[in-house]
Amino acid sequence: MTDRRRNTIVLTLVAALLLASLAVIVPGLPSSKPTKQGLDLKGGVQLIYEAKPTRFSQVTGDAIDRTMDIMRERVDQLGVAEPEIQRTGENQIDVSLPDVKNADQAQQQVGTTAQLFFYDWEKSVVGKDGKPHPTDGSVTGGQSAGQPGAGTMSYYEAVTTASKFKPTNEPDDTTNGLWFGVDDKTKDVRCGPQETQTDAQEACQNANVKATRFVEVPRGYVVVQAESDESNPRSVAIAKDSYYILKDDPALQGDRDIKNPEQSYDNGPGGSGQPNVTFDFTDHGRPIWQKVTRAIAQRGTDQLVPGADPAAVANHFAIVLDNKLISVPYIDPRQNPDGIDGSNGSEISGGFTIKSAQRLANLIKTGALPIKLDLISQSQVSATLGQQALHQGLIAGIVGFAVVALFLLAFYRILGVIAVGALVVYAIYFYALIKLIPITLTLPGIAGLILTIGVAADANIVIFERVKEEIRGGRSVAAGIAQGYKKGIAAIVDANVVTFMVAFILFILATAGVKGFAFTLGIGTLTSLFTAVLATQAVLGSMGRSRWISHPSALGAGESKRRWTQDFMGASKWFFSMSGVILLIGALAIGGKGLNFGIDFESGTRVKAAFAQTPSETRVGDALRAAGFKNPEVQKVSGDKELKGQGVQISLGESDPAKTAKVRGVLASKFGQPTAYQASSIGPTFGKTVAKSAIIAIIASLIVISAYIALRFEWKFAVPVLIAVMHDVLITAGVYSLTGREVTTSTVAALLTILGYSLYDTIIVFDRIRENVPRMPRAAFTQIVNRSMSEVLTRSLATSFCTLLPILALLLFGGDTLKDFAFALLVGVISGAYSSVFIASPVLSHWKEREEVYRRRRTRIAAENGGVVPAYATAGHGADVEPRRARAAGRRLTAPDDPERGVSKSEFDEMVRDIEHETTGGAVAAKTRRSRVQKPEPEPEAEPEPEVEQDPTADARPEDLVLKDTPKRDKPKRPRNKRHGRPR
Amino acid sequence: MAMFAWVMMGLALWHFTIFIPDRFWGGIVGAFLGAIIGAALFGLIVNGFAVPGQGDTHLLQAIEAAPGAIIGIALVYAEGVRRKIPALEL
Repeated sequence: MTDRRRNTIVLTLVAALLLASLAVIVPGLPSSKPTKQGLDLKGGVQLIYEAKPTRFSQVTGDAIDRTMDIMRERVDQLGVAEPEIQRTGENQIDVSLPDVKNADQAQQQVGTTAQLFFYDWEKSVVGKDGKPHPTDGSVTGGQSAGQPGAGTMSYYEAVTTASKFKPTNEPDDTTNGLWFGVDDKTKDVRCGPQETQTDAQEACQNANVKATRFVEVPRGYVVVQAESDESNPRSVAIAKDSYYILKDDPALQGDRDIKNPEQSYDNGPGGSGQPNVTFDFTDHGRPIWQKVTRAIAQRGTDQLVPGADPAAVANHFAIVLDNKLISVPYIDPRQNPDGIDGSNGSEISGGFTIKSAQRLANLIKTGALPIKLDLISQSQVSATLGQQALHQGLIAGIVGFAVVALFLLAFYRILGVIAVGALVVYAIYFYALIKLIPITLTLPGIAGLILTIGVAADANIVIFERVKEEIRGGRSVAAGIAQGYKKGIAAIVDANVVTFMVAFILFILATAGVKGFAFTLGIGTLTSLFTAVLATQAVLGSMGRSRWISHPSALGAGESKRRWTQDFMGASKWFFSMSGVILLIGALAIGGKGLNFGIDFESGTRVKAAFAQTPSETRVGDALRAAGFKNPEVQKVSGDKELKGQGVQISLGESDPAKTAKVRGVLASKFGQPTAYQASSIGPTFGKTVAKSAIIAIIASLIVISAYIALRFEWKFAVPVLIAVMHDVLITAGVYSLTGREVTTSTVAALLTILGYSLYDTIIVFDRIRENVPRMPRAAFTQIVNRSMSEVLTRSLATSFCTLLPILALLLFGGDTLKDFAFALLVGVISGAYSSVFIASPVLSHWKEREEVYRRRRTRIAAENGGVVPAYATAGHGADVEPRRARAAGRRLTAPDDPERGVSKSEFDEMVRDIEHETTGGAVAAKTRRSRVQKPEPEPEAEPEPEVEQDPTADARPEDLVLKDTPKRDKPKRPRNKRHGRPR
Repeated sequence: MAMFAWVMMGLALWHFTIFIPDRFWGGIVGAFLGAIIGAALFGLIVNGFAVPGQGDTHLLQAIEAAPGAIIGIALVYAEGVRRKIPALEL
């Protein structure tokens, strides 16, 4: 395929994709799609649950899937639009509920296990001896069965008493035994019930409470909370510490024996008109119901004395939901001597509000969760704050884009215009992809998007610098563009592949918020490869004949800029010392001050709220203490971007997400509805998960990066890369320690991005070293590195600067989350650029110089120069040798790249010289020609090249010079042997 | 957290090996490994093979990795001398 045809195809593809993207983006068009916003932008509640096994089910993929289905049904009943319920990690479920304001209600509705059991009350309730006493009112509660009072014990007493009973092993037991953490001093149950002792310990840790011991209520017994009237707060408070012990022999199970539950009203004869829940029995449940109620009625009949009130002797059945008595009605032995026929269903009544009756009906309807769920993280963002965050993100994005565009235009002129065009196309493609896939746009996602603007521009810079270098080297503009893309593409692909791999690892291992960042970074990297490389190449290729780019100065390649001539390797000692000192300070800071880990790792709760009138810290603290929160730290904040001015920030050591969801209600009741509200509550379990996944992600990234570098370069190149990356990450950590900035999950994501991104520069430098090694077969390795660095330092600085521009925009204009990313990225990118040049390359030099071939060269060069190895190769001991490339030189002389314009002046001069050489003949002349055509600019310290034949590989074995990407040498052309078979 | 400080101290001290003629076994990378492993191992030994957490890490713990790093570097250097590795000075 000719270049022209290829360019036409690429440009057509770009235009077609652009039209398609616009069709998706432009609002009002039938094909346009909405942008899916995350909770941090839209506002809502996010709940993260950890699945725990129960007696009936282990935590398997199937059980989690079934649980998620049930949760979806429950969420649908909440009337939430576009909820997201997804599995994260091995055993976690992430529930995102946009627009939900009441976190407390949401978590009650969504994550409740909802195991409903019916017990024959008098037969099941046991005394302190562990035996039922059906006729003893001090055990059963008599006429007040199920109510707080007679028969009830404190929670502590019930648990510790039951823990002394012997376990049973009956098939209808609902648990394998449940564990509780108790405090014998305060006689309080601190945590539980949990399936195992470890879970109970973890639960205590999550709730930030200490238990003196852990006890097990054995299999065969359950401790249930007394019934309460939910419409009466006093009744609820009394029931809070009133418990019964039941023998765990349920007669009916909610899932198996009940159907069609509905919220209704008790409007029957003598009904109270109160809300209740009606239901039908299944075919399995109906006969059991009749049998149980008959047995209950029979016991009542046996105690019935003529003239006595039947209610006084009537026995009861109990309805228990998740270890709490919902209702304990009696069976009138005179009205129902043969039990109750279940064909007309039944009802549950007793102290319901309409909402609580609806909630119970819904829970029964959707069924019990097959596994137990522990809420380990809960966060809430009000819609106002979300919109504010989106606004800040957009401003940061626009500013980032604008400054990158200005930089490209100023530095590369016409090439810059094309690059900016490519960036615009990239932005349109990316936005369309966000809508099409669809990617849920979150704040971290916006940070990833803005960072990819820098990455996309970097690809252009690498290529444009190469193009400029080729043009300054004497090629025509068209030839320079062709060569620039050809030579620059390998480095760009390498750098982008590494960034993509790190983004992929981050996506697989990171927590939900960071996943958005990783996803946008990965997709952005791939898209930018298309727009920044393929599209710009096609545009420039098509413009090859245009007068716009006919002159090198139009591309910023007119004047010969000053070259870097410093002895980088010689100066590396001082740069090493500087790094050493910085790291030393960092190590001491980490030892002395440590890192300020945020609640993502340490667990806890943080709330930000703004009110019409900001209350004082004391009033807020008092209100929270009165609501049962210990030691709330309240701080007034002013000038907060997210709160749009003044507000309060509250830190609670309390990390039990179920409890901290009540904070908003407490604040609203005392100070009015908050105008902006943001809360995040992380339990230690979640914090540990985050820390573990971060460590795995860092190790996995390092392994993948090393493997890739070893494959693409050689294994010795991978080690300096690892050291440089370690240097960057540790310096960033040191800076965090010194400044005391909070380390959040965003910081970890940014650190991982640094792992990928800081390699960008290193790969650019190493790629040039790889290219120069066969070109300089007599030079010392330090000379090769010095030469390579002098060639690529400008582009290295330009790429880093260009990436820093959008990061600075994030830092200046973004909200808190975006600033978290931006600060870590800022330090990492600066450190990365520095370490590529001053750490990775010197380490590589030191290591390679020990190889026999380079040691010999070094000895020889030193001997020739009075014991000194010059910083740069001179003609005598390091002259360039252009590695032979298949037909490259020949094509240039016989087929000019631009037939219409002919050749440039320098090319013409070269051709004249070539003809002269060819007429004089000789191997020396031929070699000199190659060298001059390909590398006309003199070495900084080069002397005139001696016209003597030298063996460029005099001190090297052939295998010493072969790197993986070294172009194959042309085989010497030999006349083809046309004879076949044995000579006659 | 202490391990973090130890590794950082090892890495910091390794940077100064550039002033020593390179006779390290494994070159500059050998010195790097010597410094990091030495610092971590010494830290572990001093702390009874336990790694102090965030709350238990203090300034002294970062400093106590320094002798470990220096010993590690010295051992790698000694091994280089024993193997008669010629000095390389860039």
